[in-house]
Amino acid sequence: MFGASRPVALVAAAAAVALAVAACGSGASGGGGSGPTLVIDSTFDLKTVDPGREYELTGQMLTHGMYETLLTFTGDDLTTPAPGLASSYELSPDAKTLTLPLAQGRVFSDGSPVTADDVVFSLQRVSGMKGNPSFLLDGVTVAKADDTTVVLTSAEPNAALPFILPNPALSVVNSKVVTANGGTTDDKDGAEKFLNTTSAGSGPYTLKSLDVASQAVLTKNAAYNGPAKPAYDNIVIRNVQAATQALNVQKGDSQVALDLSGDQVSGLDQGELTVTSGASAYTIFLFLNQGADISTTTSNAQYVSAVKKAIDYPGLLQVAGTGSVQPASMIPTMIAGSLPAAEVPKPDPAGAAAALAASGVSGQPPKLAYPSDFTLLGLSFQTLAERLQSQLAAAGITVELAPAPVATELDNYRNGKEEIGLWYWGPDFPDPSNYLAFAPDGLIGKRANWPASAAPDIDSAAKAAAAAVDPAERAGLYQEFQRSLNAGGPFIPLVQPATNVVTAKSVTGAAYNPIWTLDLGSVGVAGGQ
Amino acid sequence: MVSSPLVRYLLRRLGVSALLIVGVTLVTFVLTNLVPGDPVAANLGQRAAENAETVAAYRAHYGLDRPLPVQYATYLGNLLQGDLGESQQTHRPVLVDLQSAVPATLEIAIGAIVLSVLIGVGFGVVAAVRRGRLADSALRLVSLVGISVPTFWLALVAFYVFSFQLDLAPGSGRLAPATTPPPHVTGLYTLDALLAGEWETFGDALAHLMLPTLVLTLYTVGLLTRFTRSAVLEVLEQDYVRSARAKGLPGRTVLFRYVLRAAMVPILTVVGLAFGALLSGTVLVEEIFSWPGVGSYAYQAASHLDLPAVMGVGLFVGIVYLVINLIVDLLYGAIDPRVRVT
Repeated sequence: MFGASRPVALVAAAAAVALAVAACGSGASGGGGSGPTLVIDSTFDLKTVDPGREYELTGQMLTHGMYETLLTFTGDDLTTPAPGLASSYELSPDAKTLTLPLAQGRVFSDGSPVTADDVVFSLQRVSGMKGNPSFLLDGVTVAKADDTTVVLTSAEPNAALPFILPNPALSVVNSKVVTANGGTTDDKDGAEKFLNTTSAGSGPYTLKSLDVASQAVLTKNAAYNGPAKPAYDNIVIRNVQAATQALNVQKGDSQVALDLSGDQVSGLDQGELTVTSGASAYTIFLFLNQGADISTTTSNAQYVSAVKKAIDYPGLLQVAGTGSVQPASMIPTMIAGSLPAAEVPKPDPAGAAAALAASGVSGQPPKLAYPSDFTLLGLSFQTLAERLQSQLAAAGITVELAPAPVATELDNYRNGKEEIGLWYWGPDFPDPSNYLAFAPDGLIGKRANWPASAAPDIDSAAKAAAAAVDPAERAGLYQEFQRSLNAGGPFIPLVQPATNVVTAKSVTGAAYNPIWTLDLGSVGVAGGQ
Repeated sequence: MVSSPLVRYLLRRLGVSALLIVGVTLVTFVLTNLVPGDPVAANLGQRAAENAETVAAYRAHYGLDRPLPVQYATYLGNLLQGDLGESQQTHRPVLVDLQSAVPATLEIAIGAIVLSVLIGVGFGVVAAVRRGRLADSALRLVSLVGISVPTFWLALVAFYVFSFQLDLAPGSGRLAPATTPPPHVTGLYTLDALLAGEWETFGDALAHLMLPTLVLTLYTVGLLTRFTRSAVLEVLEQDYVRSARAKGLPGRTVLFRYVLRAAMVPILTVVGLAFGALLSGTVLVEEIFSWPGVGSYAYQAASHLDLPAVMGVGLFVGIVYLVINLIVDLLYGAIDPRVRVT
């Protein structure tokens, strides 16, 4: 017989060594940190932390922690722009001129003062580079009135400007440092590489290291003299999938998990963790293409009405999970101009049947297109589309599901080729004017092949809202626009999915903000520091 | 003139490999451009994608405004200078991205293949020589489990049990959050930490390495156990083995000098293929362990129609298989004189 004992022993020894090393190594949670370190797990969509180029959720959170904007929002309140690097603001009666006196004594992380020249350079750089966030300042010119005052002038009335300026993409950078490292105010700018290794802002934290695929490490800005109270020496933000985030935060390997779904949150031990749930600012919606060349069915007004009445909205909320809400309008609940909860669309099976009969549609069922590989805050579009299909089928409306990866389906959506589309909208800035995209001939209106000539009343309502300056008047006119959109538009607001911020009990101040997710400068340690 | 047959063989293989690499780039380029989607739509925001100036600047920056043949020719020209283009996702040179992702994958792949060979070949030999006995049945069961259990599920369960429940393994990632990566030399954290004399970092990197490595090992062990068992059994039936035993050679000598050596050719083939598969990316395992390797990079690149990154990954995978095949072919010659280059 062959002697096999030696190889077996070798194999066993190798396996034992491997397991022993793993077991011993588990205690090595790493060293190197001298003070409190906050570990945040998030699913990255990160490309860059150059504030003039970033326009992704992770990038917004990071740049908001390292840079400051002229105006900002406090906590989760998106209704009132608060002072940032500007001590106040004054919008002219015609909403064309915004005057911003700078807060005195503020400094960048290298100790140099924040000046009006830095502000002008920063905003002109965003506009001139022609990057993702450049549109925020379309039609706006920036100038220095004096050494302590900056003036933004808009070609058209722009009452939204105070709500646009808090966007972290409009952060103020240290112009001398950025210029010395390739920064310009045109498309020749070459400072991104530098800004992905070294931050040049005045925020509570600075960039220690960045790997856009795996993690970013921020460290406390020793020169910071703003209103926030950064509590951590270091903040590590890691790219971690949701399932792993849930385990990490329960184990204590991380202190914050940002991407857990309602189902995942319901399984957590809330004695050990704090779960803050609430509706996000995303509106998931359905649209029916109004182009007769795309579909004679979806462009039929009675058919649109039938679909609106056939949807079981409370049923969709069950799919979306705890904390989700049904918006009454395309404008989400926390933004001025949204409609009150009492006006949410309600299921009306009898009305749906009558409208369907009146539509007279027949033949090939329309296709419901959606990004099948996309999940928004834990809510799968595949699941949502299947539920919609079954709800419509219950009302006698047949639709054919047309799933496709988001990267390929986006093209059809943006080119107005989808018969029925299931998509979402997140606010670029928390002002109702951002939702003029849903007006006839607006950005999304065009994708639904919905021209102004097809809905002159709704077009007028949108234009009246856009022209208003007074905040109260604006809110009222935007509500009227939303009501007319609900009554006669091709869009159906479905769900505002929930956002869940899960934190260890030792963490305070981790309030969700729709623009920058977390205000890192406000996240603190329970019991002081 | 080159006189050595081995050198001539190597030169011929390198020439063929260069042509194959060009073929890989061409196929990847064509397939990526056949995907119905626009990189502009996939990478620019909604508002930016509506702005003609921004779109034009984007297309010009990535060379997307040129005809496809010109884009491909430009790519090949840049490739000759070691430039793989700039990723539309990370805004970094693809070469830099790969220099970061490849060592991460290499670190778990090397560990997994070494353990797999040690364990899988050992198990296979034991199963073969104990054919029909309890050990054989048990090892075949282990092999079946290794092959049958979905690796991503195993990764999730392993992470839950060993890291979360038993606390025998650290959390996700390549290092603990507070640990600073060692100075970059090879990109392999364990090796770089050793070179820098950072023992604590070495221990941390090794601890993070073990669980994903063992998860990947289980599948490859299953595969190698089956192949080794089958190959060894086939050789055991050969006349020369019976002759060797009849001559009274010790069982261990027959096993290692005659049987295993002859069985190594098919085993090497499987080891090569398995190592190639490990290196070309184990997307789901990397995702679960938050391991920033080639698999994760490839997935992100494909999801966003990031053509330069997709091309870079395709090129890397092509080179991996070419190199592994070359090494395996050379090892065939070392093991079996009948296929030796003369």
